[in-house]
Amino acid sequence: MNVLVPLPVVLPLVAAAASVLLQRWLRVQQAFGVLACVGTLAASIALLARVESGGVSAVQLGGWPAPGGITLVADRFSAIMLVVSTAVVLAVLVYALGQLDAAHESLYFHPVYLVLVAGVSASFLTGDLFNLFVAFEIMLTASYVLITLGGSGAQVRAGMTYVVISLVASTLFVAGVGLVYAATGTVNMADLSQRLAEVPGDLRMALGLLFVCVFGIKAAIFPLFFWLPDAYPTAPSPVTAVFAGLLTKVGVYAIIRTQTLLFVPVGRPSVVLLVIAGATMVVGVLGAIAQNDIKRILSFHIVSQIGYMVMGLALFTLAGLAGAIFYIVHHIIVKTALFLVAGIIETATGTAALSRLAGLVRRAPLVAALFAVPALSLAGFPPFSGFVAKLALVRAGLEVGQGVIVGVSLAVSLLTIFSMSKIWGGAFWGSLTEQEVSPTPEAVPRPVPAGGARLRVPPTMLLSTAALVALSLAVAVAAGPLYALSERAAANLLDTTAYVTAVLG
Amino acid sequence: MLLALLGLHAVLAAAAPAVSRRLGRGVFAVCAVAPAATVAYALARAPAAFDGAPASETVAWAGRLGLDLQLRLDAFAVLMVLLVSGIGVLIFAYCAWYFGPRPDLGRFAATLLAFAGSMLGVVLADNVLVLYVFWELTTVTSYLLIGFDHEKGSARAAALQGLLVTAAGGLVMLAGLVVLGEAAGTYTLSAMLADPPAGGAATAGALLALGGAFTKSAQVPFHFWLAGAMAAPTPVSAYLHSATMVKAGVYLVARLAPAFALLGGWRELVVGVGVATMLLGGWRALRQHDLKLLLAYGTVSQLGFMMILLGAGVPEATRAGAVLLLAHGAFKAALFMVVGIVDHQAGTRDLRRLSGLGRRMPATFWVAVVAAASMAGLPPLFGFVAKEAAFEAYLHGGIGPIGPIALGGMALGSVLTFAYSARFVWGAFADKPDVARAGHDGAGAHAPPAAFLAPAALLAVVTVAIGVLPSFAAGLVNAAAAALDPAVEPGTLALWHGFNLALWLSALVIVAGVALFARRREVEHLQARLPSMVDAAQAYHGLVKGLNRGADRVTGLVQNGSLPVYLGTILLTVVALPLPALLSGGLPTPDGVIAESLLQLAVIGGVAVAAIGTVLARRRFAAVLFLGGVGYGVAILFVVQGAPDLALTQLLVETLSLVVFVLVLRHLPENFEVHHWRLGQAFRRAVAGLVGVFVFVFVLAAGQARTSPPVSEAYLAQALPEAGGRNVVNVILVDFRGFDTLGEITVLAVAALGIAGLVRARRRERGDEEPA
Amino acid sequence: MNLGLAALVGILFSVGTYLLLQRTLTRIVIGIALLGHAANLLLLVAGGRAGRPPLITNEPGPAFVDPLPQALALTAIVIAFGAIALLLTLAWRSFVLHGEDEVEDDLEDRRIGRLADGARE
Repeated sequence: MNVLVPLPVVLPLVAAAASVLLQRWLRVQQAFGVLACVGTLAASIALLARVESGGVSAVQLGGWPAPGGITLVADRFSAIMLVVSTAVVLAVLVYALGQLDAAHESLYFHPVYLVLVAGVSASFLTGDLFNLFVAFEIMLTASYVLITLGGSGAQVRAGMTYVVISLVASTLFVAGVGLVYAATGTVNMADLSQRLAEVPGDLRMALGLLFVCVFGIKAAIFPLFFWLPDAYPTAPSPVTAVFAGLLTKVGVYAIIRTQTLLFVPVGRPSVVLLVIAGATMVVGVLGAIAQNDIKRILSFHIVSQIGYMVMGLALFTLAGLAGAIFYIVHHIIVKTALFLVAGIIETATGTAALSRLAGLVRRAPLVAALFAVPALSLAGFPPFSGFVAKLALVRAGLEVGQGVIVGVSLAVSLLTIFSMSKIWGGAFWGSLTEQEVSPTPEAVPRPVPAGGARLRVPPTMLLSTAALVALSLAVAVAAGPLYALSERAAANLLDTTAYVTAVLG
Repeated sequence: MLLALLGLHAVLAAAAPAVSRRLGRGVFAVCAVAPAATVAYALARAPAAFDGAPASETVAWAGRLGLDLQLRLDAFAVLMVLLVSGIGVLIFAYCAWYFGPRPDLGRFAATLLAFAGSMLGVVLADNVLVLYVFWELTTVTSYLLIGFDHEKGSARAAALQGLLVTAAGGLVMLAGLVVLGEAAGTYTLSAMLADPPAGGAATAGALLALGGAFTKSAQVPFHFWLAGAMAAPTPVSAYLHSATMVKAGVYLVARLAPAFALLGGWRELVVGVGVATMLLGGWRALRQHDLKLLLAYGTVSQLGFMMILLGAGVPEATRAGAVLLLAHGAFKAALFMVVGIVDHQAGTRDLRRLSGLGRRMPATFWVAVVAAASMAGLPPLFGFVAKEAAFEAYLHGGIGPIGPIALGGMALGSVLTFAYSARFVWGAFADKPDVARAGHDGAGAHAPPAAFLAPAALLAVVTVAIGVLPSFAAGLVNAAAAALDPAVEPGTLALWHGFNLALWLSALVIVAGVALFARRREVEHLQARLPSMVDAAQAYHGLVKGLNRGADRVTGLVQNGSLPVYLGTILLTVVALPLPALLSGGLPTPDGVIAESLLQLAVIGGVAVAAIGTVLARRRFAAVLFLGGVGYGVAILFVVQGAPDLALTQLLVETLSLVVFVLVLRHLPENFEVHHWRLGQAFRRAVAGLVGVFVFVFVLAAGQARTSPPVSEAYLAQALPEAGGRNVVNVILVDFRGFDTLGEITVLAVAALGIAGLVRARRRERGDEEPA
Repeated sequence: MNLGLAALVGILFSVGTYLLLQRTLTRIVIGIALLGHAANLLLLVAGGRAGRPPLITNEPGPAFVDPLPQALALTAIVIAFGAIALLLTLAWRSFVLHGEDEVEDDLEDRRIGRLADGARE
């Protein structure tokens, strides 16, 4: 039995339990959490290396063979997701050390955060549809607690929306599992892959689309995303950052996994998914343009960017899926970094509202640089990671003659630039004393802080943000090998034999 | 080495802020090292490049995507490098005098040098995707430089305008380049041009690529951003927005034209747009009062001129275009530097407030005269040589119907050019009695220090030198043009061609130009009275405004902040998305028993009634009791179905839930509030009914699809012998699927922590409220 | 297939949906609970017809009922309980803070909605 596979789940889970016990000793608890995340990251990297050399790795938990027992499966796609997510999780945890006050931390931030990590890892690794539901629930319950951490008024209001919608999605998930079981008599995904192939195509498609909805609520695709921009910005910024970077991508992961392994569409490219992709891109970016607060702008961009990932999937080609995987990797890092910058701004100035910010390029040039790189990357500007990701999708789309969605994706990237420049022009440029005729009626004259001196930012926050920005640059530099890896992962997704064999023998 | 030079730009740019803290304005000298080294290297490699042995380098990046860092220094690239880096050195020298001490010089120098490196990358790139990479880097650096004085709202708006227009074009170009790359089977520029693809895809690709070229080179109708870009500090205008970046579009067109000019309408489009741009730019320049804007429209006009020459894909025109590229680089940069000096010394660039400067700063005046004369195409200057070559090329014909139009356009454009060149010199330096009477006699303006003027003077000297002895440039021009199009035959450049048609045309242009300048007031008044037919700038503003408004509307519509609306949308989507597939095979026929027993049927009925009771209840407590009824009923159904363990759990959980409900309800009002609300009652009922029917149909359809026995048969067989348990459900939970149970416990634990946290938050508040 | 149970699943989904589309939080929670019951029943229906409880004895008897959906439903029930308890605590917290048992609209969204309305006039 391969101990490496369950490690990314078990390690944070055990650490979470220990963390509860360490509640009294805050410093110890902090160090312990960081250590656990480092360990999880190391395990994930080792797992990726193992999968790269040895192919799909499956573990039958408790020694009960599939399809009866629960199987954890690591293939390239899941291993890549693990590595990226744990890297981000680690960076955000270090960041949180500088940002959260003791009051927040005493409200069980650390153990719950570690449980969230375990839930995310389990979602990537599980090879069982019902266990995926359980993994989702672990992750979601932890997220309910984190998003309402501190329990302020705005948080409770937004948190309630979030919890209610998530619960509805979870119920639909259970119902979906029930329907799948009714049709096939199994919940093991490798087994399902074979049995669903025998189910009539229409029913398989209906089931598949039901699951697109279930995961789509999490992944925030159009028209299921509305909860996200309301819920995310209210949480403490490290929480928002990790949600923004990770949680929606777990949904995307689940969509890609189930669409390629279980509910393989008959028609390719999938027109339904292409339409969803386009609509998600457009509506998301328009939402961003309408906003006036950094965190809300960024939240809408999450939605818009999800559209690109769905676009890659919808093409159902090697290049499309590889592009989608590369895009996810890029996006997780860049998006988290952007939210961390937003958190820095909020911590240092007390606001994230553009109407009350100005001139940061002078007061905090380093923060400006840390914003500019991921912002340009997000908009797909070269030579950053977002450009490579966009190029991969554009090529994949044109390769199969899908000019329309390519056109939409390029137009949306222009709108993304427009919206990012709004943040740049509003927060980083301009002067604090300037009296401008603002387009919004309630905009107040910009406040003049004492001297407009350099902003003071806790070093752990800067350090972890810089680390993520550096990581995103590394993604751009190593785009060649990374894209090749994405391609191999995509090949595994399109040809499921290796996956099925590894699980069922 | 090419890569090292790009790296040098990057490293020095990164270091510039720190350097400026030490050296102040000395940072510009440090920065100038990078372009100077580039010029030196280009000159050293020039002989080899002219002989058809270009330096080239490749660094692997993402080869699977066609994206490898391929660089190539052929003869045309040498010409461009001399332009980009040569003028770059002069600009940095100029900057050191232009700026007073200010804290953000380091940032400025860094950005300017980053631009210089990016622009160098554009002309060196031998991979179309890498070309796009550098191309957009110039877009970003241009944005930062235009908005350098970011305290001014106008500068920010101009920066954004430039960014959006050029980035939009760039994206269109990216699509075009990918299409071209796919059609050609290679993304290597030189390979693509050596063996150009043909057919529909290639045509589409080549046309799309023009999107980038036209926006970057400020062609009609995208010219307006360049006027806005004049918000930048003058060295930036001189460098980016006249000498180099705006030529990137011309550069790309020059590269593509020999291969693609004959594809469906490509040449006609490029040349036509060039003519329109040349005329519009020249015409607009004649009404400007700001000297910088005058020059900016002049640049627009000249960029159109270059498009006409380099976009035709005709050997002679290509060669003329290469000459014009060089000539324009020299005289236009010099003129911008002069404007900067005038602005710096006199405190204004408005020709209605300038008078008598010709007397007060004679050296500057003469530099301006030489440069402007070259722009106007007067002999014996470089600009004259360029214009003669251009006329020659089009007088020979063989370009198709667009040829005469282009020739006429160039002649008319040259008349305008002469007029605005004269207007420039007059506006900046002439003695104007009315202006002097108004108190703007420029008495405070002193001649600039020699070093401030030196870069512009040097360019003026070059302009004269090449004009008098054009053979200096002939080798470069011939080789550069041949690198673009092997069909170009080497020719000589000459000041004097004899009394040929081109010369008469030039003479005509000068006469008409003088007349136009003489009637400048009338021209200005005429322009003021003519309604501008298409105002592209207004179209842009309308577009942005519409975009913002549209975004507000769409967002206000879909994102209305109301949870019930969100839930309604989600549930409708859940029904609507799978429904077509579900029903495509017709409705499933109900197949099975109504109920296992009468008891079951009765309980089913009871549960349904209790469920409806939750809706009808007016009091909270009653509704919760009905919910409990449903829960207990479901437990009975579990028993009937043969699931005693499940029933037991259900009973337990239902009871606990009731307790929690009651605990919370104690704090809430007894009755539900009555709401009149926009999601109508009918809508809610419709959605609810739809969901119910949908689920029912789905269950029927799924149930009928089962072909194989369930996996759980194995559980029944293994539970006792292998797991040692008789209760199979229990064995599944603790053994076969123990991982689920672990997750379940985790969920409960975390929920407990969350509840504890919320309760503690409340306690803390209460503690705070109590007086200490 | 047990049609009666399948119909009950449909009915519970229907009623639960209706309650979800309300503004009062208590009703929404009740709606979610009803949906949960429906989903669990659906799992059971998916397991096929009723049968002998899966308690292995040595006596012969009719066929055992499928045990897997039972195990899955049991897990789902417990998880749902945890989440609903948390949601109810949030509702209590909301009542403490805002004094009403309602899900309010998002303020920023309403602001942009007003902007859009203003633009329309």
